[in-house]
Amino acid sequence: MNVSDLSAPPRGQGVLIPLLLALLVFVGLPALLAGFDRGYFYQIANLALIFVLLSASMHLVTGVAGLLHLGHAAFYGVGAYTAALLSTKFGLGFTATLPLSGLVAALIAFLVALPTMRLVSIYFAVATLAIGQMLYLVMLNWVELTKGPNGIIVTKGLELFGFSLSGRLATYYTVAAVVTLCVLAIGRLSHSYYGNALRSIREDDQCADAMGVSTARLKMEAFTLSAFFAGVAGSLWAHMTGYISPGDFKFSESILILAMVVVGGLGSLPGAVIGALLLILLPEGLRAFGDFRNIMVGLVMFLSILLLPKGLLGEVSALQLARRQLGAAWRNTVKGEGIGWR
Amino acid sequence: MTARSSLLKTASLAALVTGALAGTALAADTVKLGYQLPLTGETAQYGQDFRKAAEIALTEFNAAGKPFKAEIVFEDSRSDAKEGTNIARKFVDDKEIVGVLGDFTSGVSMAAAQVYKEAGLPQLSQTASHPDYTKISKYQFRNIATQAQEGPYNAKWMLSKGYKNIAVIAEQTDWGQSVVSGFTEGVKANGGTVVFSEFFNRGLKDYRSLISKLERAKPDAIYTGFFYEDGAQFLRQVQQLGIKTPVYSTSAAYSPKLIELAGDAAEGVHLTSNFLPTDPAPHIQHFVTEWKAASNGAVPGQFPAQAYDAVRIMLAAVEKAYPNPTREKVRDALAQTKDFPGVTGKTSFSADREAEKELVKVEVKGGAFVPVAD
Repeated sequence: MNVSDLSAPPRGQGVLIPLLLALLVFVGLPALLAGFDRGYFYQIANLALIFVLLSASMHLVTGVAGLLHLGHAAFYGVGAYTAALLSTKFGLGFTATLPLSGLVAALIAFLVALPTMRLVSIYFAVATLAIGQMLYLVMLNWVELTKGPNGIIVTKGLELFGFSLSGRLATYYTVAAVVTLCVLAIGRLSHSYYGNALRSIREDDQCADAMGVSTARLKMEAFTLSAFFAGVAGSLWAHMTGYISPGDFKFSESILILAMVVVGGLGSLPGAVIGALLLILLPEGLRAFGDFRNIMVGLVMFLSILLLPKGLLGEVSALQLARRQLGAAWRNTVKGEGIGWR
Repeated sequence: MTARSSLLKTASLAALVTGALAGTALAADTVKLGYQLPLTGETAQYGQDFRKAAEIALTEFNAAGKPFKAEIVFEDSRSDAKEGTNIARKFVDDKEIVGVLGDFTSGVSMAAAQVYKEAGLPQLSQTASHPDYTKISKYQFRNIATQAQEGPYNAKWMLSKGYKNIAVIAEQTDWGQSVVSGFTEGVKANGGTVVFSEFFNRGLKDYRSLISKLERAKPDAIYTGFFYEDGAQFLRQVQQLGIKTPVYSTSAAYSPKLIELAGDAAEGVHLTSNFLPTDPAPHIQHFVTEWKAASNGAVPGQFPAQAYDAVRIMLAAVEKAYPNPTREKVRDALAQTKDFPGVTGKTSFSADREAEKELVKVEVKGGAFVPVAD
């Protein structure tokens, strides 16, 4: 595929599709939710939206820049803890904690990125794994600040400049508006020359370097930006649930977000969104199957990787990327010799 | 109108009518409870036990010729706060559910509690031990002795045995935190000294560095806050290092699996419990027999017994609120629970909805838990 095609908006994305999507999110779904008037549906809609944001933010690093990120949930946690601490210790409301959570998460991401961003392939993945674990252990063990495993009860609900938005429909609209704005921003970032520069890292970082693209700086920026959006998602979660503890941000959450990006399709923002919706809605939808639901979710993921190696809408195959990440030793057909490990 | 659409209409009408009938039939003589618990995931072993215990309690209740039948809706939370909150919303939406049991971990119980608080649905957890759990609202109850109660009790017990300098270790969870704080307060109040205290992360495989660090403080005895998996690992390594310092623990470690996994390394461990499967009292023997029948002859531990009692306490509260039990009436009935004769001893709820339990002192002797006088 010609790389410059990728910066153009995907086909069909004139005005019609975004308009229809906006209608769906801001008119259709709320009408349905209000019609059913079930707290359960509101809860799932909000949770799905938060994970759409998490998945979209990871898409920037893993999908577009092609860097395996194994610690994303930790920045989600930093955002949630920032919101919870600012709100319980300094009495700040959601209006203030929302941007601050993003900024603190981004700042921490920037600081940990400084020494690690020159790493490539599997070494980068291991570094993000370590960063994620480190932040998780800080949340768990720095009892004086984070109250450790006791978690924090957040008494302040969603509000905007003092107006309470804690009603069911108001909560949904707040979450939907924040997530939509963030996803739009991520969309603009990934479908632009900037996004193409990130893609060049994914396709061949040495070549990009040789062409004068500052790969270390781009990686750092992508990493920091993605942490910002994850932090925003954390703030939404903290104010929405009212109680957070380190368990919400452990390694398995990072893997869940990674799975969303992969199932949806690496490099595709709509894919990341659909992946998030799928992996949040499916386990809930399958509750009727009792203990088998996890197996069924696993089966869906397995089959999607097996039958759709590029995910639902991906630009690149996850397997291709994994091979490149896991070893430079993988080679495609060269001079009549078959593919395989060197 | 086509034949197909009219057929569809008739079918949906029929479904509606039967649904409505079933609805009224349910309302007449079936009361629904919700139980959220980890049936899959890392803590599934506990959730599966709770379900088994709850089913025993439920079958008994429905066979006892009460004026109404009870039904429990089990939902799997995977010990995940996201899922726990979803389930809470689902239970709240179901107007027939008048009371909820669970969750297993404090974290999930507390996240779900925010929903129950808002909706006014009583929640009784068999295990949530976080000090702030019952403070969330008047709808949160627990059927477990807190460490604020157990810690000082164990502190007095150890000091009475002449152990003045005590080392404390506990898992790094909200519960572990309460183990250390509850016990340390008890020791200080009764003239002892805590010479060492440290936390370890759950699932730690190698305790040797922790043990040798602890031994450097030269304690007379070690007090531990762990569950059976970590406990067995710890005790084996204490034995391997040839350390003879006596080990004391909480009721959370009271499980036959502790002895099964630790083998003779568990010998001589002292702990408290509020459930003794060897107690000859008929209601306890009844539960033990039922449990053995349902689990290939295995003896129940402390947690399933707590779940069994929690379900029975909830059912008793519903019975008290009957006829026309509402969530509010069930809550009030729960709050009035006094001297409930459970398998984990007599249980009363204090004004702040904490279970007041009697504790029994136990020692591991000859591969079994044996009650001791002191």
